Amino acid sequence: MSVENKKISRFELLMDAGFGAQKAGDILIRAFARMGKYVYIEPMIPAEISPPPRTRPALSGVIIRVADFDITNIGNDTDLILASHEIVLDRRLDDEETNVSCRVLLDMGDKKSNEESYENVCKRLTKLGISTFPFEIDEESRALIQSLSGSGQNMYYLGMLSAIYNMSQEVVEAQIQKEFGKKLNEEVLNKNIKIFRNGYVYARANVFFSFEVAGMPRKTEKILIDGNSSMSMGIIDAGIKLFSGYPITPASSIMHTLAKIFRSYGGIVHQAEDEIAAIGAAIGSYFGGVPAITCTSGPGLSLKQEFIGYAAAAEIPLIVIDAQRSGPSTGMPTKTEQSDLPAALFGNHGDNTKVIVSVANVIDCFYAPQMARYLTEKLRVPVFIMSDFQTANSYKIIDKLKPTEMNNVNEIQDFVLERFHMNRLPDNIEMVRDNQASPGVPGGMRRVTGLNSDRAGQINYFSKTSQRAHEVRNAKIHEVRKALKKPEIFGPEEGKIMVVGWGSSRGVIEEAINNSRAQGIPASGMHFRIVYPLPMMIKDIFSKFKKVVTVELSYGDEHKLPPLAMLLRSETLVDVQPMIAQATGRPLRPRVIMQKIKELIS
Amino acid sequence: MSVPVEQKSTEPITLKALNTDNPRWCVGCGDFGILMGLKRFMVDHQIVPDVTVNVSGIGCSGRTPNYINTYGVHAIHGRPITVALGLALARPDLNIFVESGDGDALSIGGNHLIHGVNKNFNCVFLLFDNELYALTKSQTSPTTRKGHPTNTQPSGTYLDPLNPISLVLGMGASFVASTADWIPDHLASTLSAAFKHKGFSFVHISQRCPHYDPDAFDHKTSTWFSFLKHEKGIPPDKRIADKTELIDHDPSNLETAFKYANDSQRYFGLFYQNPNKPRYDEILHGELEKAEKKPRAKILDRFLI
Repeated sequence: MSVENKKISRFELLMDAGFGAQKAGDILIRAFARMGKYVYIEPMIPAEISPPPRTRPALSGVIIRVADFDITNIGNDTDLILASHEIVLDRRLDDEETNVSCRVLLDMGDKKSNEESYENVCKRLTKLGISTFPFEIDEESRALIQSLSGSGQNMYYLGMLSAIYNMSQEVVEAQIQKEFGKKLNEEVLNKNIKIFRNGYVYARANVFFSFEVAGMPRKTEKILIDGNSSMSMGIIDAGIKLFSGYPITPASSIMHTLAKIFRSYGGIVHQAEDEIAAIGAAIGSYFGGVPAITCTSGPGLSLKQEFIGYAAAAEIPLIVIDAQRSGPSTGMPTKTEQSDLPAALFGNHGDNTKVIVSVANVIDCFYAPQMARYLTEKLRVPVFIMSDFQTANSYKIIDKLKPTEMNNVNEIQDFVLERFHMNRLPDNIEMVRDNQASPGVPGGMRRVTGLNSDRAGQINYFSKTSQRAHEVRNAKIHEVRKALKKPEIFGPEEGKIMVVGWGSSRGVIEEAINNSRAQGIPASGMHFRIVYPLPMMIKDIFSKFKKVVTVELSYGDEHKLPPLAMLLRSETLVDVQPMIAQATGRPLRPRVIMQKIKELIS
Repeated sequence: MSVPVEQKSTEPITLKALNTDNPRWCVGCGDFGILMGLKRFMVDHQIVPDVTVNVSGIGCSGRTPNYINTYGVHAIHGRPITVALGLALARPDLNIFVESGDGDALSIGGNHLIHGVNKNFNCVFLLFDNELYALTKSQTSPTTRKGHPTNTQPSGTYLDPLNPISLVLGMGASFVASTADWIPDHLASTLSAAFKHKGFSFVHISQRCPHYDPDAFDHKTSTWFSFLKHEKGIPPDKRIADKTELIDHDPSNLETAFKYANDSQRYFGLFYQNPNKPRYDEILHGELEKAEKKPRAKILDRFLI
């Protein structure tokens, strides 16, 4: 058996939905983590619950990237695929994310009754130059799976993958115990462990290759966390006391997490009757002086727009999380995109005044709620936290973060502001209305309305009052503009090409720029965490590059600018061009960015 | 999670103290009567404006919070219930009044009315029912009577009106009362009963619109309506009690409540009250109260590997 030492490797487990591929992946990455490796895991989830098995829509699985160093994204291509049958494999091959030396382990259990289909897929693999290793689950394991009413297959595959990645059997079994120990009775648990062992032994004896990714002993406390969990904990840490939402993928898991634990931290979870009611309740709470947040995805954002404009006009603080998914309309609920930027930025009717905070990774997810709370309470304008399916659902191992236990927004710590590349805002920011008292303040009696108001809060349709109200609201945004520091830049601040992105594209930009530079290709990168307003100096930075290009998960072509390119062009008058503007639902890939950079500067 | 506040006002609450700048309703508008009823109720019971919030939607009714010196949220069309609920969850110490119209509550905001009634959170809900859209200049609303011409159905409104009282009784409302803008004593007594009831107190108010539909209610005669009276109910308006029929109705009797709600005759008074309906706000606050308190410093420990 040959062992290939790898610094980094990416593999996939593909199964039918409902058979536990994610569970197996979860156990495996925890075991990886225990052995000191770094992981990044992206689940592939169908938008339906359990589509019929052995159909293309049933594809459900995990992509796992494991390395001996910290990784920031799901990477490029896959080295190894384990597929439970030929149909999910065939479906996944359509995405074209395998590398030239990719190996496929294909379960042939279904072949007898599907000869032709298997042959076709195997022919496709041969054409792609992918080596295929057929196998079948042994008879004993099959009997055990049958006795478990069909479940447990994932344990066999987990065993195989554990062996191929040279994992200690004991470490993985300990994770299985931890995962199922409390949920399953002993008999069922033992059957699962037996199936796992059979898979492990089988792969050790029959698969002639294996991968070794070195692990480093942990010196600091590490956590394994996904974006939505991190955001949920961040909401608690930011001192927010009301979460108001309506079920929608991929935002819902924030509500699920908080529903279990929020009350222990003094918080209420309100599941509203619709998206509009959810944002209305958040606004009501904040009018009462109690920090609140609402959370949604694509279609829900469209529904919330009237209230978002209202909050700006009435000067009631408001935080909206948008976990973006593929659109327009219902689109692809379990695929990633960054195409809500214009809806967030310009979605309400009339003039738009808001701040857009985006998250690049699970660490940002934790600190974004307090950043948003700081901004919205200082400015009384709506503040967005833009996440996306990819960031929301991907898990990563990070150093344990330090909660700040914020009570009052003036307590915000410098390192949080620094993370979002911002200085502290000035203390006395002018409001449209002088009185901003919360109920309970004697004599305060603040009355707010979406109608144009004068300084005293009276309804007023006079020309000068309207102009002033607009100026005051926009001046708040300009305060942020002025407080923004230089955004994060990778590589030198002048050169041939600058690659710009926002939100979840940070990791791939960083990796692509680092790898390009390591290969002697001069390129730089820029990433925005606060994507609106933009800092004052970006035109100067852009002017020191021959080309400025964007990479974004939003559709664009030669006649249509994707959102970030459009925004940067209009704000700077620099000829910013989209380099990648894709709407495939799949994350950006560092290697593709590198290729494009090469093409553009040659 | 409530903000600590002073509950007592040092000044006595007077009608004058509740005034703001002049309301901009048309001369003769029933909304003046409702506003006066609300103020009178506040004075009668010395309701402290510092801890009182009026929340409204859009329309003539929606202007109310701007014309009474309490805290106020003049929100967006059809959604005042959603804002009021957020406020009730965040600040159980506040007195919350919601003003909404027949278009606001029964048309664009119909969904929220269902869930406000069902969640039964503590507030007084005032439905200003003038039986048409007025601020947008005379369009058919869900309660416009069949045949009445409007700008959108000029040959006469096509359908029979919705029956708001029957509707909320059917939804399981815990408090359903009806009154009118031109009987101020009854209006104030109704608000008083509604305020004392803990839960979503639905108050239907027949409201005159002299500008677009002066014939909707004949407020000078009183033969077309009756008062529902009971020891557990709302006392009939003293000034006209002797000119109209008084009906004994036990407000705990849902069956007869439906009977009067669906009658062609109009009834003012307390249709129904159920003090035992569970309250969403109370349940959530109870959960908060009994939850094991945990320090935020350790929130990430559950993710340790």
